[in-house]
Amino acid sequence: MSGDHIHAEPTSFWKKHVFSVDHKVIAKQFMWFGLLWLLIGGLMAMMIRWQLANPGMPVPLLGNLLFSRTDGVIDPATYNMLFTMHGTIMIFLGLTPILIGAFGNWCIPLMIGARDMIFPLLNMLSFWTVVLGGLVGLYSMFVPLGATEAGWTGYPTLSTTVGTQGSGETLWALAVFLIGLSSIMGGINYITTIIRLRAPGMGWMDMPLTIWGMLFTAVLNVLFLPVIGSAMLLLIMDRVFGTTFFVPASIMSGASGGDPILYQHLFWIFGHPEVYILILPAWGLVSDLLSFFARKPAFGYKVTVGAMFAVTLLSAVVYGHHMFTTGLSAMLGESFMLLTMIISVPGEILFFNWLHTIWRGSLRLTSAMLFSMGVIFVFGLGGLTGLYLATISTDIFLHDTYFVVGHFHLTMAASSLFGAFAAIYFFFPKMFGRMMSERLGKIHFWTTIIPLTVVFCTMFISGYGGMPRRYYDHTSASYLAPLQHLNVITTTAAFILGAAQLIFAWNFVRSRWWGAKAPDNPWEVGTLDWTTPTPVPHYNFKEIPVVHTGPHEFSHPKLGDRDWISQTDKLPA
Amino acid sequence: MNALRLSFNPAKTLTRVLASSFALFLFSAGVSAQDVVNRWGPTPSASSYGDDFDDLFWLITALVSVSFALVVILLVVPLIRDRARPGKKASYDHGTSLHDKRFTACVSIIVFVVLDAWVLVIAMEDLQTGFWNYPNPDNAATYKVEVLGQQWAWNFRATGLDGEFGTPDDILTTNTLTVPKDRPISMNFTSKDVIHSFFLPDMRTKRDVNPGSVNIAWFEPVIAGDFDILCAELCGFAHYQMYGKLHVLEQDVFDTWEKEASLMAQAAYDKNDTEAHWAWEWQE
Amino acid sequence: MKRLTLLLAGAALSLGMTLPASDPLTVSEGDEHGHDSSASAPEGPHDRPPLDVVLDIHTDAWLRAPSEDWFEAQAELDPDRFSYVDDLLDIDGDTEGGYQDKLGEYELRYDAEEDEIAYWQYISADRLTQGRRDYVQFCSSCHGFDGDGYGRSGQHLRPPPRNFTKPFYKFTKVPGHLLPSDESLILLVERGLNGTPMLPWALSRDQLNDIIQYLKSLSPEGVGWRDVYSEVGHIVESDGDPWTGREAEAIQAGQDVYHGTAKCYSCHPGYVTPEKLAEINGLPAGSMPRENFTYPIAKITENYEVQGVPMLLLPPDFTWQDVRAGTTPLELFETIGAGIGGTAMPQWKGSLSDKDIWAMAYYVRSLIETYKGHPEKRAEFMSSLRTGR
Repeated sequence: MSGDHIHAEPTSFWKKHVFSVDHKVIAKQFMWFGLLWLLIGGLMAMMIRWQLANPGMPVPLLGNLLFSRTDGVIDPATYNMLFTMHGTIMIFLGLTPILIGAFGNWCIPLMIGARDMIFPLLNMLSFWTVVLGGLVGLYSMFVPLGATEAGWTGYPTLSTTVGTQGSGETLWALAVFLIGLSSIMGGINYITTIIRLRAPGMGWMDMPLTIWGMLFTAVLNVLFLPVIGSAMLLLIMDRVFGTTFFVPASIMSGASGGDPILYQHLFWIFGHPEVYILILPAWGLVSDLLSFFARKPAFGYKVTVGAMFAVTLLSAVVYGHHMFTTGLSAMLGESFMLLTMIISVPGEILFFNWLHTIWRGSLRLTSAMLFSMGVIFVFGLGGLTGLYLATISTDIFLHDTYFVVGHFHLTMAASSLFGAFAAIYFFFPKMFGRMMSERLGKIHFWTTIIPLTVVFCTMFISGYGGMPRRYYDHTSASYLAPLQHLNVITTTAAFILGAAQLIFAWNFVRSRWWGAKAPDNPWEVGTLDWTTPTPVPHYNFKEIPVVHTGPHEFSHPKLGDRDWISQTDKLPA
Repeated sequence: MNALRLSFNPAKTLTRVLASSFALFLFSAGVSAQDVVNRWGPTPSASSYGDDFDDLFWLITALVSVSFALVVILLVVPLIRDRARPGKKASYDHGTSLHDKRFTACVSIIVFVVLDAWVLVIAMEDLQTGFWNYPNPDNAATYKVEVLGQQWAWNFRATGLDGEFGTPDDILTTNTLTVPKDRPISMNFTSKDVIHSFFLPDMRTKRDVNPGSVNIAWFEPVIAGDFDILCAELCGFAHYQMYGKLHVLEQDVFDTWEKEASLMAQAAYDKNDTEAHWAWEWQE
Repeated sequence: MKRLTLLLAGAALSLGMTLPASDPLTVSEGDEHGHDSSASAPEGPHDRPPLDVVLDIHTDAWLRAPSEDWFEAQAELDPDRFSYVDDLLDIDGDTEGGYQDKLGEYELRYDAEEDEIAYWQYISADRLTQGRRDYVQFCSSCHGFDGDGYGRSGQHLRPPPRNFTKPFYKFTKVPGHLLPSDESLILLVERGLNGTPMLPWALSRDQLNDIIQYLKSLSPEGVGWRDVYSEVGHIVESDGDPWTGREAEAIQAGQDVYHGTAKCYSCHPGYVTPEKLAEINGLPAGSMPRENFTYPIAKITENYEVQGVPMLLLPPDFTWQDVRAGTTPLELFETIGAGIGGTAMPQWKGSLSDKDIWAMAYYVRSLIETYKGHPEKRAEFMSSLRTGR
């Protein structure tokens, strides 16, 4: 279909590399953009950890440059800005662009055999909107009074003028709104492309699971980003035009006013699906990669798809578990507790299928495979600890402690980050035409997963000890001071974790320009993207391929010595 | 830009930068860890329903540990046993057989029953007898406190001897709450400015303190002593400094305290200063 | 900055900016929704903060500097910066000597209208802007955006947050009739006030310095730091603790001073039996110095008011209430020595010997340590005083 009107490849630099409508260029743009923000957000995390282990000590190396007014010390307000922007950046500007922006754009047309996205211009607009959002977010850090300090959740009334006076918070809300807008554009594009542009012969159940993950994510994006967008607009109106959607009158005055809890509902109706928006692409990718590198068909393909679908549905009706301490009625609390726990069933099915996929396989332990298995590990750890937080009677104590921080970092941050790493190691040869160093990749994996586990498991212990999150200094409260040694452990591990990412950065940059030339199909997999020559030509496919087999036909008994078959080939009868 | 024209060896420079910052870090971490008595968990529960939390926490921990151990075993066994070797071929299995489907269904049911339903039933029971089992406010044994949160302090108002809020003998305190032991303490919360969260780690209780509406919670201290009150919802940059003290006194000591506090409150009461007379109608 | 916003996005501009002051949309909770009579607290004018909080200050300020003694001391510490010039000022042909600051921050100036010579400190608009921004970020929630002590979080607070447009400060440890020095203000902010929401602020020296310069500049023309007749004082000093190693003796002496010469019990509670009180004061046995002398007596103070309502201030019962500004003997010496500005608590340094003030400091500390936080012990002690008669 898209082959009906092929334009000539643009030749000018601007058209080719900057304002390109080619999904491959946009994917790479998203990738660089996301990596840049991951670096900034990661540095912020390091500074947060520094402060927690060494309260009030000047930050080494960067301190005097960034916090000159306080002689390199992070002051309490700056600390709040750091964790607020760390959360916002990592979620909206780091992981979303890489997982959904870069790999959504890269995988969807190539894996379903299309020449581009169905709306290429919308695709380009989606990227430049997120850039604009990123710039507004960046600018918000340099206005008087600095960036917002209201946390990435931006709860009113702290996020209204009652709690934050500077325009940093307004710009933050605007940035989130713009990024949401970009995601909605991307979501519409992804859904339509997947529905309309699948190559002839590719039925719904012939799609790689990556595409299913992207599809569900796109659906959630289109459904729930408008909610956060509207919440942000209401917040902006409260801040700029003096409305009182979220600003209540004092209970003593007897006057009426807005309701700050309304925002929490709006935020978490979006916020909980957001977790799945980040994790579903990773799940899809991992489901594929485990099969690819275990040289075995994906176990229970349809059940996996069904489980992902169930999670997508359930994600919309469990958000109340973020609000167990806000004063939800007992009935609502019980309902949300039950619904939240039900998520463990599709979650368990996914685990069951992944573990079954690698069982009795022939595992090629590439970096991509290691990171895929890493997703199982960290998501297992994160997902299971969700049980403590879904259960109201334990959540009452654990809510807003480091237990929650450990939990959500493992589920939505570490898992999706591992998914992104797996995808980068896997798709790099096709994207940039060069191989990444496997040796460095494996070092990167082990130096990442070990400290990462230490970081977040120590956070579980801190949280169980009652250490609240978002504290500038835990040594000042007598209840928390005896837990300070845990902060020191966490920070030490976090610094090793941070340093390990430099290995990745070096590997990425070195391989991009000086890596070994990549063959067309280095991993020997059968999905359509690997049938293209490397580098992928303009408009991907000279002829739109015809699909004959599923994406995971590995080690078919009739294939003889060869253990894989391309989706364009027919299986021997 | 000319200054950067040097023989730059990224790996070496990186090593040096990392090593120097790490040495600095270890040094300062050692300093800050000094004089701190280590603790690995919460202090023992001091409230009537706190033990329920501890019990359920460890039950969940047991269930989760077993589940996670299973995952790790299933991950590590193929990692060691099923590595690709020359001539080795993976088994060809789409997992679509009836046997596989039954197996999946069985595991799902077991997971739901063991991980979810079991915990759910216990949690519901704990909540019905504990956190949600609000004490009767008309009962004389119920000690009532109005809590007014603000950036960055807790204001408490207790009824004093007359049992009524908004009277001259109301006991007003900032950051210290004194309550009797072995009596249900019923609390009403609201905030002047932003959302706070009233967190009593020793009592295993927590409730958000929202501006514009009144939230309720209760607990029953079973140990006398001094405990910490923390804020568990980001409320601005001094969030970490918003802590108070909870004094739990034996009933007879508490009676003396209450009488004295009531008299002291009357000495400081000014009927013209209406703004100081914050209080709201008790809500349940 | 604004131009950069324009470049970024038109939308960013319109939303990032704020609206003018008299914007009709600014919501003030009116009475039309009904007023709960049982909760008759008045609505705060800042219940909904203004949308146009000023963050920049465009005018420099000249504020009162300490007296010549201070400059003399500075000149000794930093002779390169401060030097004495014999003919610094020329007033109608007469020359006046004074200290000159090479950096130009401090200046001796002649006010022709009032015919007064005084040292002034120059604070640039940039510095005030820094202070203003820190103030808005850190202080305004209680002390209000205009520094009038009436922020949203400061409502209902007793004692109320300080109103910076008035020249009264309670716990700066500078004699009450003088303006507090920069050092004393910084110390107060760094240390906080016990038992109040005034926290010990973990801010850098620069931030603290800018904030307090801004606070000083909030004085209206002719008041406080903008008053040519006002005087800046310093934290009261002591030649050293005369009681070191003799604490029990100090406590005994302090008890006598507290209940005798200083007559503290006329506002604070007395902590001895009526017989003892009469004995110390040389009164006939059985006479009663004041009714209910084991309770403090609250006093109305016009200097501290909230929206026109003067505050009723309660002198602390040391066995019950917190003392605000520290409980070490030195801190108590400073507090007692300087008095509490704007209240009935006078400056004792000068009227009592340092030795007596130190003795009282030890005595007050012993009261705090023995009884505060021990309700049982305290009740026993107090009732022994009440029924001992």
